[in-house]
Parts: sequence; structure tokens; C-alpha cells
Amino acid sequence: MARTLTRVGVVVFLLGVVGLLAAVPPGAAQAPVKITLWHAMGGARYDAITKEIAAGFNKAYPAYTLEPLYTGSYGETVTKAIAAIRAGNPPHIVQVFEVGTQTMLDSGAILPVTEVAKPGDIDFDDYLAPILNYYQVGGKLASMPFNSSTAIVYYNKDVFQKAGLDPSRPPATYKDVEEMGKKIVASGAARAAITFGWPSWMLEQAHAMHNQPYADHGNGRQGRATRVLFNAPFGVEVLGRWKRWADDKLLAYGGREYAPNKAFLSGEVAMLMQSTSQVTTLEKAARFRIGTGFLPRIEGQPAGRSVIGGASFWVLRGKGRSPQELDAIAKFFRFVALPEETAKWHMDTGYFPATKTAVALLRKQEWFVKHPNHETAFEQIQQGPDTPNTRGVLLGNFVQIRNITDTAIEKALSARLSPKEALDEAAREANKLLDEYNRINK
Amino acid sequence: MKRAVFKNRGLPYLLVLPQIVVTLVFFFWPAFESLRLSFFRTSPFGDKTSFVGLENFVNLLSSAEYYQSIANTFVFAFGVTALAVGLGLFVAALATQKVRGLAAYRTAVLWPYGIAPPIAGIIFLFIFHPSYGVLPYWLGFVTSYEFNWLLKGWVAMALVIIATAWTHVGYNIAFFLAGLLAIPTSVLEAASVDGAGALRRFRSIVLPLLSPITFYLVVVNLIFSFFGSFGVIHAVTQGGPGNATEIMVFKVYKDGFIGLNLGSSAAQSVLLMFVVIVLTALQFRFVEKKVIYS
Repeated sequence: MARTLTRVGVVVFLLGVVGLLAAVPPGAAQAPVKITLWHAMGGARYDAITKEIAAGFNKAYPAYTLEPLYTGSYGETVTKAIAAIRAGNPPHIVQVFEVGTQTMLDSGAILPVTEVAKPGDIDFDDYLAPILNYYQVGGKLASMPFNSSTAIVYYNKDVFQKAGLDPSRPPATYKDVEEMGKKIVASGAARAAITFGWPSWMLEQAHAMHNQPYADHGNGRQGRATRVLFNAPFGVEVLGRWKRWADDKLLAYGGREYAPNKAFLSGEVAMLMQSTSQVTTLEKAARFRIGTGFLPRIEGQPAGRSVIGGASFWVLRGKGRSPQELDAIAKFFRFVALPEETAKWHMDTGYFPATKTAVALLRKQEWFVKHPNHETAFEQIQQGPDTPNTRGVLLGNFVQIRNITDTAIEKALSARLSPKEALDEAAREANKLLDEYNRINK
Repeated sequence: MKRAVFKNRGLPYLLVLPQIVVTLVFFFWPAFESLRLSFFRTSPFGDKTSFVGLENFVNLLSSAEYYQSIANTFVFAFGVTALAVGLGLFVAALATQKVRGLAAYRTAVLWPYGIAPPIAGIIFLFIFHPSYGVLPYWLGFVTSYEFNWLLKGWVAMALVIIATAWTHVGYNIAFFLAGLLAIPTSVLEAASVDGAGALRRFRSIVLPLLSPITFYLVVVNLIFSFFGSFGVIHAVTQGGPGNATEIMVFKVYKDGFIGLNLGSSAAQSVLLMFVVIVLTALQFRFVEKKVIYS
């Protein structure tokens, strides 16, 4: 008896389930198609990407929902995305920094942006050439340009004035840094002359600024890089100059990423070489007048151009994407590329206004007249030749190689090794990593 | 010892089953997985894997960087242990003095242990960071080389040792305090009557009676320094400057999770496990002989 009752119960239950399933018509399109975006934008950039861009997109396209998720630093975001790819459930879009480019290209896990966005969706010719050139490999655009930056020099105009320098003239050369710096420190206007964030990136910048190769095979753009070249005489000269700044007590080394900003903001250090993505943040936080200028040049070296940094959006294929999902991604990229959105993103952060129409819009609003510091990087990137050296280096295992060069720079600045020894050691280790990378990714 | 008797022969096994399952799933399985991975070279995305035999180990054992990380680990672990155990004993001895508000003192000295290591690291950063720390600013060290631990390896090492010891000293104090309070006062009084001074009493009575606890704490602190000290390093130095504070467990993380070289990372964790097993075995073999249990 009890058993029969149980059986009846099971049958009723199953019928109920079937009924529920039947009640939901297949492919009910009421719920919006959801796509996920993993990003690494902290601080002021977090609000810009979630409250402005994602919310704006969801409002503009009610059929689609974009879910942004902050996944930590750039490095952590890549790691998490890779873990998700291995587990078979990656986000639709992930923001990857420029050093991850080669790894993403070789991953087999991506869909090139040009395959996702249909012709007419986005006018890629509208993008500024240096930005497009960075993300184009072998003539093909792999990822969607989003937050591109470069490095510039920021300086404290009040300190310059106090030291008897012209507050409207930033240092143009390394010699300027040295001469101005000595005046600043001697006058007591600041405790140190200069500091910089992202040390290895600054070394890369110095190479590009003077049209010097950082790795072989056209900076890794005409075939996989097999050898780094930063221990050539040019790289040794750059690091040697930095070392001299440190010896003369001009340089206050402040750490690897954005930590040095604080020494600049507190007025202890007069100049800061840092990413343009910090313009808005620094201007808001500073209690003094901030000036900006091009990265200082080394006298007697050829002219190049500063290189693009920052990150771009990569589409991950996962286990296959439905046409609706692909359309949602394409529409999102189209939304991001709108001149108003691109301009707003620039104003909120300081990253490049990546398209010509956005620049024109900003000019019409006289944005650069009112915010000259936001224009500096933009002008800097448009000067100089377009060569493989200035398009930016592509390396496998680049994240680790950055760490190796950071280490070398720290060893040289702390006088544990000479600049030449430090860079030679770093090159040996970097070349080993390139070998390993090229062995796995044939 | 009291012996529990179960009527049902299966029941005891059933009762220990959850613990065995937890151990198997969370300790043995990952350990064997590391061992397996250490013989392979895997692409970051896990799509290309090739068997490389002992190559990961050979690469490690022929790299100067790896030996430096081993040396760093020993300096770090012995530094932390000496400081945390020594300071723990000293503070615990002070906390047995008869003073007013003793309970409040005792609570206060245990506090640091309640602070998560990364938070402790951040607190130290706010005090010591050359760019925004209070101390370098007061002392005028902003452009100084000698104490800029973003450049000077030994200063950085001293800093992470102090920070880690500080987070861990509360644990040691708790054990020493319990040990000190368990020493019968009659013994100490008898020694007093015999004319032994405070130092003599400490050396001849307190220290031997505390030896089991001291031994236990040394072992635990060492293992903690080898394995559990990731949080402070990650928050304060990230292994820098120039690998000066890169201890083995941080290198495992760095190569595995940032560098995505899982094979090498797995090989390193196997070696790390081996080092800790050997170290612990040595301690039990040689040091424990000097320990008086009762």
C-alpha cells in the first residue's frame, strides 16, 4: 500500500514537472540576452565602466544585458579568465592588458573582433592609427580597442615656481630633468626631483621614444620574438641615466605601479612619469597646479614615438556563442565606439579618446582648451615615425618578462649590479622564457 | 588511557569517515595532482600539454633564482620564528606579573593574532612605505637609498619578518601564557627560598618546564613561515625588490598564477613539501630529545 502511494506520488510529481516545462514556451525571448564582461578597472574607472558604459548600453539596448564584473588587477583578470576558459565557462568579453596580447593571440580561445562585428557595425578606420596599429597583428585586428594610454610626465607647477623655474615649461630632455631637478632639490622646494610608475614599461617607452627595438623579429611583429634586445647599449644608457639620477638624489624610486603617485601628490617629488590614465585622478587629488609634458628625450638619440599601453576587449568563444550573444557583443562594441561614449570615457579617466570623431567632438566642446593636460598624451602619440619599434613590442610570457625587467631595474638602482650586468642577467632569463613559450606554442 | 568500546564494528570507521574524506579530497588529491603536474609542461590555456619528465625539476635546480628563493625562505622562516617565539615568551612572562588591569593587558597582547595577514601588511605599508608611509616622511628618508626598502633587499626582508612575526606573536603568547600559569608556584617559591634569583629560576625551572610548548611553537612557527606567510609578502613587497623577499611559497604563486607556468609551479610545491617534511622530521629526531614532557 505504502509503495503504491509512493509510486502515485512520483507520477504526480513527474507530471507536475512536465507541466511546468510545457508552460514555458520554448525560446521565450522575454528575458534579455545576457553577456558578461570581466574587467580590471578600479578606482574612478570602476564607476565609469559600470555606471556609465554598462548602464548606458543596457538602457540603449533593452533586449540585451551587459553584466560587468570587476575581477581585480590586470594580471588577476587574465588569470581568472584563463581558469574560466579551462573550466569551459568563460565570460563573453574580457579586458586584457597590452602585455597579454601575444598570449591571447595564441590561446585558441578567442574570436577576432573583426569576425564578431559585422561590416558597418564599427568603422575601425575612425580609430587613431597608433592605437589600431598596436592591436593589429599581421594586418588583422584581434581585439576591440578600449582603454588605450601612454606615458607622459606630470610636474608640480607650484614647486617649479618655488624653485625659480618656469612653471609653464616641463622638462624636454633627460638633461633638463637633471638640471631642473638639481635646482628643485637644492632650493628645498621638494625632497626629490622625479619618480615614475611601471618601471619596465618606462624602459619600453624609452625604447619606442627613440625608435629602438626591444625584441627581435620587428619587435615580435614580423614573427615570434626569440630574443629581447633591451640589454643593447641603448637600454644600458637609459638605465645608466636613471641610476645617475638616483645617485644624485634626484630620483625617489616609489614602486612598480601607481604607488609613486602618492609621493608626487604629497608634494615630496616634483615630477612623475606615469600613465595618462591617471590624469583625471591626479588632477582631482592634487592640492597644487599640475602641468604635463611629453616624456623627456635623451639627447643625441633618434626620434621615435611613445608607445600604446592600457587594455582592450577580447571576445572569448567559450563552447560556442549563439547568434544573439554575438549580436549583443557586436552591439556593445558599437556602443563603446560611439563618439559620445568614447569622449565621456576619456573625460572620466584620461585614457585616449580613441576615435577621430570623438576627438572632433571634444574639440567642438572646447574640452582640450579647458583641460590642456588631457591633450598632452594625444599630441605626443601623433608625433614621430610609425615603425615596428614604435608600434609596441609583442612577447610571449610578457607578464613574467616585465617582472624580470622590473627586478633588473631595482637591482641596478640599488647598486647591487651595474646597469649593464642587471640588463644582461634579465635578458638571459627573458630569452629562456621566450624559448619556453615558443616551444609550447609552435 | 581510557579505551572506548564500540559494539558495532563499523561505527568507528563511519565516525572517522568525514575526516578521512576531507583529508583525501583537500590534502591528498591536490598533493598528488601537483606531483602529476610537475612532470608536464602545460600551455597557459591548458590546451597543449606535453610530458617533460624531470625537466621542470632540472630547470629549477639549475636556476640561481630558485636557490635564492630557498635561501630567502630559510632567512625568513628562522627570522620570523626566532622573533615570534622569543618575543612571545618575553611578553608572556611580562603578562604573568601582578599588575592592575592584567586581563586588559592579556587581551591586548593577543590582538594582533586576530588581524588577517594582508591587513597587517597594509598597516605596515602605511607606516613604512617610502612614498606614503608616515615614518620615512618624519625621518626624511624620502630620497634615501639606505632605507628605501623598495630598493634595499635586506630592509625589505627585515620589514616582512617583523610584520609576519607581529601577526603571529599573539598565538605564541597564548601558549606561553598557559604554560607559565601551569607551572606550580610552590616549585618557584621553594627555589626562591633556596636563594635562586629571578634569572636562575627562569633558566633552571621555567624554561625546562616550558620546553614542550617551546618545541611545539618552533615547529608550528617554522611550518607557518614556510607555507602560511603568503599574505604579508603579497601585501607588502610582492617578493621584491629584485626577488629579495621572494620566498618559495610566493614563487609558487608567482610562477603558477601570474606566470601561468603550472608545471614549474607544481614542481616547486613538490620541492617545498619535501623541504618541510625533512625539516620537521629532523626536528623530531634531534631537537625533541632535549624536550622534557613531564
